Amino acid sequence: MTDVTDVTETETGTDSGGAARSGRDLSSAKDMIVCEGVSKWYGDFQALEGVSATIKEQEVVVVLGPSGSGKSTWIRCINRLEEHQEGLIVVDGVELSNDLRNIEKVRSEVGMVFQQFNLFPHLKVRDNVSLAPIWVRKKSKAEAEEQAQALLELVGIPEQADKFPGQLSGGQQQRVAIARALAMEPKIMLFDEPTSALDPEMIKEVLDVMKNLALSGMTMMVVTHEMGFAKEVADRIIFMEEGQIVEVGTPEHFFTNPTEDRTKLFLSQILA
Amino acid sequence: MSEFAGAGAEIGSFYPMPRPDASPPVEEHLPPREWLKKNLFSNVFNSALTVAAGLLIIVMLRGLLGFIFNPLRQWNATAVNLRLLMTHAYPADQYLRVWFSVAAFLILTGLSIAVWRAGSRVPVPDVGKRVTALGVFVTLSALLAPFSGSARLSWLAVAVFLLASGLSVSRTSKDRSVSSLSLLVGVCGLAALSLWVIPYGHHSFVSDRTPKILAEPGTVDLTTKLPWTIMLLIAVAAYGVGLLLRDRIPAKVARTSLVLAWILTPILLLFLVLRDPDFDMGHVLSTDIPIFLVFAVLGSALLFWLTNPETGEVGRIVAVTVLFLAFGSFLMPMRMVIRIFMLLLAIFSLAGPTFSGDRRTRHNYVAIWTGTAVFVSWLITAINTPSTAPVPGQFFLGGFSMTLMVAFFTLLVSFPLGVMLALARTSNMPIFRLLATWFIEFVRGVPLITILIFFSVMVPLFLPDGMDLSEVAAVTIGYALFASAYLAENVRGGIQSVTRGQHEAAEAVGMTTSQKTVFIVLPQALRVAIPPLVGQVIGTFKETSLLIIIGLFDLLFVAKAIIPNQTAFMGSTRENLMVISLIYWVISYSMSKASMRIEKRVGLGEQ
Ligand SMILES: Nc1ncnc2c1ncn2[C@@H]1O[C@H](COP(=O)(O)OP(=O)(O)O)[C@@H](O)[C@H]1O
Ligand SMILES: [Mg+2]
Repeated sequence: MTDVTDVTETETGTDSGGAARSGRDLSSAKDMIVCEGVSKWYGDFQALEGVSATIKEQEVVVVLGPSGSGKSTWIRCINRLEEHQEGLIVVDGVELSNDLRNIEKVRSEVGMVFQQFNLFPHLKVRDNVSLAPIWVRKKSKAEAEEQAQALLELVGIPEQADKFPGQLSGGQQQRVAIARALAMEPKIMLFDEPTSALDPEMIKEVLDVMKNLALSGMTMMVVTHEMGFAKEVADRIIFMEEGQIVEVGTPEHFFTNPTEDRTKLFLSQILA
Repeated sequence: MSEFAGAGAEIGSFYPMPRPDASPPVEEHLPPREWLKKNLFSNVFNSALTVAAGLLIIVMLRGLLGFIFNPLRQWNATAVNLRLLMTHAYPADQYLRVWFSVAAFLILTGLSIAVWRAGSRVPVPDVGKRVTALGVFVTLSALLAPFSGSARLSWLAVAVFLLASGLSVSRTSKDRSVSSLSLLVGVCGLAALSLWVIPYGHHSFVSDRTPKILAEPGTVDLTTKLPWTIMLLIAVAAYGVGLLLRDRIPAKVARTSLVLAWILTPILLLFLVLRDPDFDMGHVLSTDIPIFLVFAVLGSALLFWLTNPETGEVGRIVAVTVLFLAFGSFLMPMRMVIRIFMLLLAIFSLAGPTFSGDRRTRHNYVAIWTGTAVFVSWLITAINTPSTAPVPGQFFLGGFSMTLMVAFFTLLVSFPLGVMLALARTSNMPIFRLLATWFIEFVRGVPLITILIFFSVMVPLFLPDGMDLSEVAAVTIGYALFASAYLAENVRGGIQSVTRGQHEAAEAVGMTTSQKTVFIVLPQALRVAIPPLVGQVIGTFKETSLLIIIGLFDLLFVAKAIIPNQTAFMGSTRENLMVISLIYWVISYSMSKASMRIEKRVGLGEQ
């Protein structure tokens, strides 16, 4: 859990005017992700035990929990990188089933950013971003490249378009990965520990991009150990342990008076 | 999460990554005497080993030189029979066609060298070192070979010249360098020049004992030295043209067209130039062209519709229907051309939805279909047309050209087949996986020879009436099936080295399985598989020599069975075998060298 100690260092960088967000009223917004009693087994081992949650349009949800608690498994079920065995997952009105059409439809509307970036190493940065728009969204090459350039500008690295991923720093690679996901014009963005593989000095540049994305109204589900980010940007925090949701609440509630003992224990370990 | 930490960095180092600050460690440069002491005579045991190995080398070299320079050797057996070795019975009056083909290859080579910026700068002192080493070798040889006194003196003079020039060149400044290409041209130029001035056929040049057979004392035939000199000039000229074009054409266009040219040229040369088909224009106009037109026009329309993103589910159903029709066509009596066209169209249709896109993409797709149709149509017509250069009773080419031809077509067929097998074996569709696994494991369990004999003897018996396949074609197909099984395993290794994260990233942006395979998995897998694949290409080239067992007239057959039966060159087998070994070695070694450079380029060497 070395990355947790970095949290306090980067916290100072992200403390501007965020508290207002948790006060937003999203109750009338439309449901983007609905999970009901989602369970998942790896062989005999149950990784998710009846997870239920609803995420509204424009909402930013941070998922916390100790390592191995099933955060990745859950978030990966939402775009069908993992298959759940029980329960219901509905993404923007489309239920995830074995129907290939639905899976492809959901995937093209849900962007995903991985801990290990997973950029395509044999393609230039520009092609990493424009490949899927060309072949999945059927855009023309010129249009897709123009969009790629604009997105690279958005994440602050327009000058790296002609390099290969291996020539970039970790923080730059993760920003390309965000641009790649945004190029599909998704309605939802999923982040699975996007800063955990980064050196401390690069964490802030990625968090800043994510913060701007949240401010622009993107629906986001973020697994992270960056408490500063959670405090400032999240509308809600979901705390998981052993495949179950233990506690849900606003950042204020969560960091000031959590109700569950397990949450308190986790926070005391992480903030110690 | 810690188990994954750092994987990103590993992937990064696979790929081209100029690191500005990573200069290579400065090599230690010891003076020769200290180098010897450090590496060869560091202690008693080491010194003893050095001396023993040195003695062994001397004894072996002496034996080899004694064999080579024995006046009984008939080195001119291969020189006189060069045409036989290269093309066997190809008619001499048609030889301009052969030279045309060689020229075509050299033009491609020259252009490719320019476009891919092959070659490097070699520091001048390094050249000097190599010349010095050559000088040492010649000195040693001159002392060990069974030369007469005067011959030994003249060889020693050559050695002294080499040593002196080598040493003086290696003293020059390290900053000066020459391009390796100009060195290559220089060496080839000297070789070509020597054809004009050195009397290679004159045996007493190496020894004054009377040789058993003294052919024409002297000079190389004009029909050899003139064309080769012209070929060298053509290659250099092609390189020059390549340099000019390089800056005027986008690199991607130039490279793609060159790769295409490398694949198509051998086929065109073989079936159009060398074989010189005697087209029956009546038949071509009344049958071949109409069939082509039907498929080109209807196929284009179908594919244009299929690649429209709006077509959707109906398109896939239509594509599958085409596939069933194609399979069905094999059950009904009809021309083979039609069946082949149906099958091709089915493949294009099935792939259509994957490559659907905007108008330009769709036009390109249709253009590729039309181009393929033109080519296939022409190829089938050419194969079915009798040649004007018939060689009674045999295939019209033999010797080295047959070796090259079989190797080329084997690789041409086995590459796509092997990649498809590898994909099938790693796919998650049980039927494909099972079929591919069975095929691969079966073929790998059977000796190549068995397969070759089976295809040369049995397959013609099983063919339906009215279809006949030349023995060469049958054997090539067998060989290609064999090679594809091994190739599939190499490619599978590459496919499995593509990380799970890559699959997930491709899936997460909504790619279909075929898009993921074409754009993400295969490019990375093939890169990783380059070293074993090159090894396999070399192996495939060398093992064509097994054709001798089928009785096909390949290079080995000519060297072993034809030349030694000529009255003038009775018993020259060993000499011939040495010469063709040299030919095999030069080609295999250059391929291996080239692959090392390719590996470096794609950054594999940096792992
Ligand atoms: N592919 C897999 N096969 C078997 N077990 C797995 C697999 N992936 C994850 N698990 C297990 O599921 C549990 C939850 O994992 P994960 O979702 O990655 O947790 P987190 O992301 O919260 O650290 C862990 O105990 C892990 O060992
Ligand atoms: Mg995780």
